[in-house]
Amino acid sequence: MFGKKNNKEKEYRQPLNLRKEIKLFPGYILVGLWVAFTIFLLVWIVAASFSTAPEIMRGEVFKFESGFHPENYVNAWTASNISGFFMNSLLYSIVTMVCVILISAPAAYVLSRFTFLGNRPIKSSFIIAMSIPQVMVVLPLFSLATATHLTGSRIVLILLYIGMQVPYTTTFLMTFFQNLSRTYEEAAAIDGCSPMMTFWKIMFPLAQPGIITVGIFNFMNIWNEYFISLIFASSADTMPVGPGLKSVLTSMQYTGDWGGLFAAVVIVFLPTLVLYIFLSEKIISGVTGGGIKG
Amino acid sequence: MKQNKKMIVCFLTPALIFFVLMFLYPIIRTIVMSFFKVEGVSDAVDTWQFVGISNYQKLFATSIFQISMINMGKIWLIGGIAVMAIALLFAVILTSGIRFKSFWRAVIYVPNIINAVAMATMWIQYVFNKRFGLLHSMFAALGLEDLAGIDYMNGSWKFWSLLIAFCFGSVGYFMLIYISGIERIPQDYYEAATIDGANKLKQFIYITLPLIKGVFKTCMTFWTVSVVGFFVWSQMWAAPQASDMQTITPFVYMYNIVFGTTGNVQRDAGMGAAVGILMAVVVMIVFFIVNKCVKDDDLEF
Repeated sequence: MFGKKNNKEKEYRQPLNLRKEIKLFPGYILVGLWVAFTIFLLVWIVAASFSTAPEIMRGEVFKFESGFHPENYVNAWTASNISGFFMNSLLYSIVTMVCVILISAPAAYVLSRFTFLGNRPIKSSFIIAMSIPQVMVVLPLFSLATATHLTGSRIVLILLYIGMQVPYTTTFLMTFFQNLSRTYEEAAAIDGCSPMMTFWKIMFPLAQPGIITVGIFNFMNIWNEYFISLIFASSADTMPVGPGLKSVLTSMQYTGDWGGLFAAVVIVFLPTLVLYIFLSEKIISGVTGGGIKG
Repeated sequence: MKQNKKMIVCFLTPALIFFVLMFLYPIIRTIVMSFFKVEGVSDAVDTWQFVGISNYQKLFATSIFQISMINMGKIWLIGGIAVMAIALLFAVILTSGIRFKSFWRAVIYVPNIINAVAMATMWIQYVFNKRFGLLHSMFAALGLEDLAGIDYMNGSWKFWSLLIAFCFGSVGYFMLIYISGIERIPQDYYEAATIDGANKLKQFIYITLPLIKGVFKTCMTFWTVSVVGFFVWSQMWAAPQASDMQTITPFVYMYNIVFGTTGNVQRDAGMGAAVGILMAVVVMIVFFIVNKCVKDDDLEF
């Protein structure tokens, strides 16, 4: 279910060594409890999202006494405008994901391939930028958005998201271009291909594994973003799922529609969870790749 | 050569424009702003009044800010110890040849890929719910009426329930970093140690720990960055209010004094900028101390 296992792990699996397994028993217990809790939490939320409010209050979400209630999802999707937030998030995440790659991949390529004045300072500024707290940059960004009359538009959010992800993405992709052989470029040059064409036609496709990883990673980051959208998307029309779900939460607490609330929660986390279930190996490699060294 | 130059400029410019607009210019402007009296964020520069360090002095004299700093310090220290210990423990367990390693690893990381608002809602509305929550029904089933009656979302419990939920989600991320560090240690070190009669604990203390010092450094920096950016969890725990003394952090305080919509707080963007600068200073201090304390000896492996 969680991606393909590599060969190293297969080696561990073949012989069932009982003595070794017994030694590892405490480890199984600890990890098992933690994992069981995580899964139970998710399963309960999904079960609750198909139950009615009285059932949830009585703590009987797994009995389904009054049957399944998929209408909770219909209510959440239409009545509380989750659909709008969902579409906004989809738009922001996809546009940002594509634009960041188009901006960062060329930059990463020249930074990793050529030596020129300013190469090192640029690389280190990108690394520093990754640990700059958002509190430090958000105020001037807000005044910049006001000055350019962009506040309240979808464009401003997309631009901010792109800027936010550029340092990480560039740093991550640099290692991928470093590992590509220079013979590709030499061969292309002999055939008369210009350096820029060489990049787009040959090097960019070759870095595809890295580009896909970092793309999914950026998609998830934007989907889960909260603070920037809270400030720059103040109206319900432009709000993504983060602040959107919070507003649903506030209103649902008064209406007491618990089933609808949990359905909204599920709708919000389902896209990233589904991506993760299919691509967990890739996503995990994205966490430890790139900027993290040690 | 000339073609290369043209390409370097063309390829680098878009990324640099974003970097300058998103990081360089805002950082400089925030630093300048923190020394001025500025009421609204988007006020024109000629309305700014130079006040020296009085924004910082006022901040340190504000009791809400003091409380928020203490809260942040508690999250950093107590949460940090818990998260680092559990993450390292899980990393060691998962690299010890356990079966279904990818499955365990994937599930432990799950909270990190779920929207924080959704994650916080699950904790608040389910785990800590006083009527049908997981903890409530668990303690009620065990007959522990006192424990079952606790309202985790109120009073002094509020901070601890927040800390537990936040740490639970953070473990997976740091575990992945530790795992990648441990997996880089050559396997023959352990084999040699086993032959020499060192047990697992000794191997951990004398081989694993010294060799993942660099990873620990990375983790400390990342943990500090994430605690400084502690915002959404605090807001979720304070909801429906904008903030709550139990859970307020400097980031939330800054949001309240700059963008706040609740009437009682006076707007002060200059002070907000000062909060931003202080947070960056906190990250730098931690980075500096960690780098001083944990020396990189040039281990080649």
